[in-house]
Amino acid sequence: MKLTRRDFIKSNAVAAAASVAGVTLPVTNAVAADADDGIRWDKAACRYCGTGCSVLMGVKDGKVVASQGDPDAPVNKGLNCIKGYFLPKILYGEDRLTKPLLRKTNGKYDKNGKFEAVSWDEAFKTMAEKWVAARKAKGPKGIGMFGSGQWTVWEGYAASKLLKAGFRSNSLEPNARHCMASAVGAFMRGFGIDEPMGCYDDLEHADVFVLWGANMAEMHPILWSRLTDTRLTKPGCEVHVLSTYEHRCYELADNGMVFEPQTDLAILNYIANYIIQNKAYNKEFIDKHVNFTKTPTDIGYGLRASDPREKAAKNRNKGKLSKISFEEYAKSVEPYTLEHASKLSKVPKDKLLRLAKAYADPNKKVASYWTMGFNQHTRGVWVNGLCYNVHLLMGKIAEPGNSPFSLTGQPSACGTAREVGTFTHRLPADLVTKKDAHCKFAEKTWKLPAGTIPRANGKTDKADQSDISGKPMGKTLIHAVAMHRALKDGKMNTFWVMCNNNMQAAANMNDESLPGWRNPDNFITVSDPYPTVSAQAADLILPTAMWIEKEGAYGNAERRTQFWREQVSAPGESKSDVWQLMEFSKYIKVEDVWPADLIAKKPEYAGKTLYDVLYANGEVNKFPAEQVTDSRGNKYNNHESADFGFYVQKGLFEEYRLFNSAEGIPKKGHEMAEFDTYHKVRGLRWPVIDGKETLWRFREGYDPHVAKGEGVKFYGKPDGRANIITAPYEPAAEPPDKEFDLWLCTGRVLEHWHSGSMTRRVPELYRAVPDAVIYMNPKDAKKRRLRNGATAKISSRRGEIVCKIDTKGRNKCPEGLVFVPWFDAGRLVNKLTLDQTDPLSKETDYKKCAVKISRA
Amino acid sequence: MSESEKKSELNRRQFLGNMLKTACGVGLVGLGLGAYSNRASSMPANYVRPPGALPEEDFLGACIRCGLCVRDCPYDILFLGEVGDEVATGTPYFIARTGPCEMCEDIPCVVACPTNALDHDLKDIEESRMGLAVVIDQESCIAFHGLRCEVCFNVCPIRGRAISLDMQHNTRSGKHALFIPVVHSDACTGCGLCERACILEEAAIKIFPMHLAKGELGKHYRLGWKEKDKAGESLVTPDTEHRYNLPEGVRYDLQGEGLIIEGEAEETPFSSNPLDTLNSGFMDK
Amino acid sequence: MNICSLIVHTKPASGPLVSERLQAFHGVEVHGGLEEDKLIVTVEDEGETVSPVSDKMNALRDVEGVVNTVLIYHYGGEESMEEMNREIN
Repeated sequence: MKLTRRDFIKSNAVAAAASVAGVTLPVTNAVAADADDGIRWDKAACRYCGTGCSVLMGVKDGKVVASQGDPDAPVNKGLNCIKGYFLPKILYGEDRLTKPLLRKTNGKYDKNGKFEAVSWDEAFKTMAEKWVAARKAKGPKGIGMFGSGQWTVWEGYAASKLLKAGFRSNSLEPNARHCMASAVGAFMRGFGIDEPMGCYDDLEHADVFVLWGANMAEMHPILWSRLTDTRLTKPGCEVHVLSTYEHRCYELADNGMVFEPQTDLAILNYIANYIIQNKAYNKEFIDKHVNFTKTPTDIGYGLRASDPREKAAKNRNKGKLSKISFEEYAKSVEPYTLEHASKLSKVPKDKLLRLAKAYADPNKKVASYWTMGFNQHTRGVWVNGLCYNVHLLMGKIAEPGNSPFSLTGQPSACGTAREVGTFTHRLPADLVTKKDAHCKFAEKTWKLPAGTIPRANGKTDKADQSDISGKPMGKTLIHAVAMHRALKDGKMNTFWVMCNNNMQAAANMNDESLPGWRNPDNFITVSDPYPTVSAQAADLILPTAMWIEKEGAYGNAERRTQFWREQVSAPGESKSDVWQLMEFSKYIKVEDVWPADLIAKKPEYAGKTLYDVLYANGEVNKFPAEQVTDSRGNKYNNHESADFGFYVQKGLFEEYRLFNSAEGIPKKGHEMAEFDTYHKVRGLRWPVIDGKETLWRFREGYDPHVAKGEGVKFYGKPDGRANIITAPYEPAAEPPDKEFDLWLCTGRVLEHWHSGSMTRRVPELYRAVPDAVIYMNPKDAKKRRLRNGATAKISSRRGEIVCKIDTKGRNKCPEGLVFVPWFDAGRLVNKLTLDQTDPLSKETDYKKCAVKISRA
Repeated sequence: MSESEKKSELNRRQFLGNMLKTACGVGLVGLGLGAYSNRASSMPANYVRPPGALPEEDFLGACIRCGLCVRDCPYDILFLGEVGDEVATGTPYFIARTGPCEMCEDIPCVVACPTNALDHDLKDIEESRMGLAVVIDQESCIAFHGLRCEVCFNVCPIRGRAISLDMQHNTRSGKHALFIPVVHSDACTGCGLCERACILEEAAIKIFPMHLAKGELGKHYRLGWKEKDKAGESLVTPDTEHRYNLPEGVRYDLQGEGLIIEGEAEETPFSSNPLDTLNSGFMDK
Repeated sequence: MNICSLIVHTKPASGPLVSERLQAFHGVEVHGGLEEDKLIVTVEDEGETVSPVSDKMNALRDVEGVVNTVLIYHYGGEESMEEMNREIN
């Protein structure tokens, strides 16, 4: 702030007059200069969860010296949770990686060597050699990349292009597979378009809140603060909480229920049955807007095919829906009486009845929220769907306060993983590799020869796609858990993990993941700012510029896209993920990965690198590098623009926008505003059409895709109707037995996020919650001659760890169940978990396996 | 009034009289304790005696400086006063901010004490009163500003009774709640786990007795709305005007109350959604 | 080089109107008090001009809607304009 002597004298003069007159003056710049002089403030989306709070970061002399919640942000209004309070510190952990590190012995790469600093050039040369060899020898699934819902939007987009178009491989998965895949599956099956219909404003408009397997109090702290406020200030508002153990949300619960793991399926069917038996359903709504369907049952648990549980499954991995009548649907839920649901779930009848009545009351607006309790579930797609069933039966959907709402865990699970489509089966904007037409649209947009992108079944126009390996493409889809299995089996030889801690997060890491990564045939690359468990298990580590060390964009759980500028430089030689992806592509020639007949269709690509084809394609490099400046004239660096010579982020975003906003797109409903707009706003909720945001989708007036007179239209489906999908209760894969006599549920705590790779490097957060503990019922502890604070061994069929027992902690477990958080790299709870997945969504179930506990 | 009634009346009077005496007694004891603690205040304010410690004067008389409690503490949190310390040489204490009492169920330090300086009648660690936690600086504690912290509450071993959260409407933001930590002296043992866990640079919750202690907000952190007020405007590019797709009769106030459905306030027996009326199922009644 | 501040009392509810009239004068700024009908006004001379501050103050009193003016603060320095416009801190 610049203050002249004249301003100073004048402000004194004004103050003197004002004080005599007793007049309060608006504070002006002239008198507001203080110790914060010289700090440049700019906005950013918080690095942690899917809530998407906006923060202001204060930078002085190239370092973040101050932070605050953004008072103008509609989500958080200047508030932060404890993690957000310490955001600047995640950039400055003492053990930041600053140089590429390669395992070497005697100056040469050696799988069993020690990490040595290498140049970026050596790192990429080594990598390129391995990647090209694996791609040629093992086909499209010979290579793999595991990205992240913490990637910025354009990082996910650049990665999708590199893998799908460049390497011609669908072996790209985000860690959102472990987090949101079941929610996605249910959105697509139910509505034909991904992501919630409502938004956070539902938190102020609902009369009844129901939490299904979501500990919002700790995991979405600012949203919980809004929900709590509504509960405190709105007459008649009530909160129902369901989980397999008591957590912080029960402090506010009017109706708290602890149910036996897996029986949420039965409870939801009971509610549907109650609504039907009492004829409370909204007949006009279901007549107009709903189809009734059923899904195959007895579908297995996503384990290896050799597992006896898979062999026993009648309809392993099957999910094709078939139409049924309303009467057939009613019949299918009829067995789920109050008595039956209460017996299975162990929830008292009066509590279940109260819950069912809340849903069935036509005068109450109900918002249901869920996170990992529903998604990390071997019947995750089913259980998401069963919740939609209840809302659809009542017509309580897609309007203020009536909202089934899937919350996300990661800051850009929606914006990056889902909207950009960094899953094996997806392309940007809800397009899928299963559909030839979708792939063709992507090829046209990306200026690629037809048939470049591998189809799910390896066929285009009903003919086999040719491959550099000389063999037909074959089936190309491979999901996250299957990737680790393929690494162990030697079918996948190179693997690149970016922006997440894949090893720490991997279920059954002892039996599957670690042997896969350390398989001598395999070359594992990990890009991270810190030496995580994954980095320890890698062969090459690439130091990464994180969060506001690069220009970025995140999309939160309510479809809000938020941008930030590069505010500080990354330490040492660290480079952003988007830089790494694009720079690496310079090391791969088209001839290395494309067969001759494909190149022949675009002879001008012969001899080019993937960088030329994918990024210097006339579209991505359309915008010249420019000095990034905010409206106050503050200047910002952009290292990617400086290195590549064009405005990388703008070019990638504008090309991506062709998938959701251009004429002739295959799937409507994802429209976004122009790049420059987002730097000026506190985020916009898509679809954004003519500059207007959409708060509630599918509802006339709120959603521009619903025409006048239509009322409600689920336009993701060709007939505009949503699916009610009946599915029964089926037991879990590994219930407790005589030897392994306890359920293990894993999860998170308020103070740590992701794998703790950032939060555990903030001393205050580490001090607040240093280690993972076993939350346990005191009676269970006593039976095992354990007391609070005792050290115990917890083991499953797959591994064991040693932890302290906590019988008095914030989570109160029922007898027969223990809860262990997974953030602690010193106590890897995923040594115990089972690599079971939902057979439909392929999302891992981290919430249910059998363990035993004894004194250590 | 019947005989039995008289008797009970009498008993009640007696009872009240006795209670009055007892109250005086407690008052006297209270005064005595006050005098003790005045003298004890020569001990640094952040030093806390182990569980079961007698009142300071008695404790100093009973403690034989054997160090057995220190030896038997499984968490190694106890120190012995050294020559030159402001605490009697050889007597045990701990410092909550760096090493609080972990509240072992079997209280090994008390068991180890050969003289009852740590009271052997203390069987339940939750009955111990090492001190009292006080949210001493409400200006610094970020919970009072609506931030979601609650670490002190989360780590409290008798959470809900010793520390509870008082949920209040956040009038500044209009749509969030405050989660205010409140310590209850009837349950707090003074173990200090909250003080250790407090994430501020200087803890805002501390173990009493504490005369001058004062917390301090993290140096890097600003309260966004205050900074904005001080500057008189947004510190960064102000948000642009937002427009929304909305049906007729509905407005959206971005910085205010969000969605506004006009005419919603008027109460009639009918739901604003005609479908509610149509589907109310009168035919079933 | 003079800087003065004064309180200008206006007729009831005519603060904003008077404020506009005052701002027409060169070197006069209104800083607030429109609601209270007590305007907080600064008057500066530009050094080079011949019109001294006191003339301006007298002129303000004659503006329609003004009831009274009270001088509160006066700074009269010898510095040049360049010096006055030098940044501090």
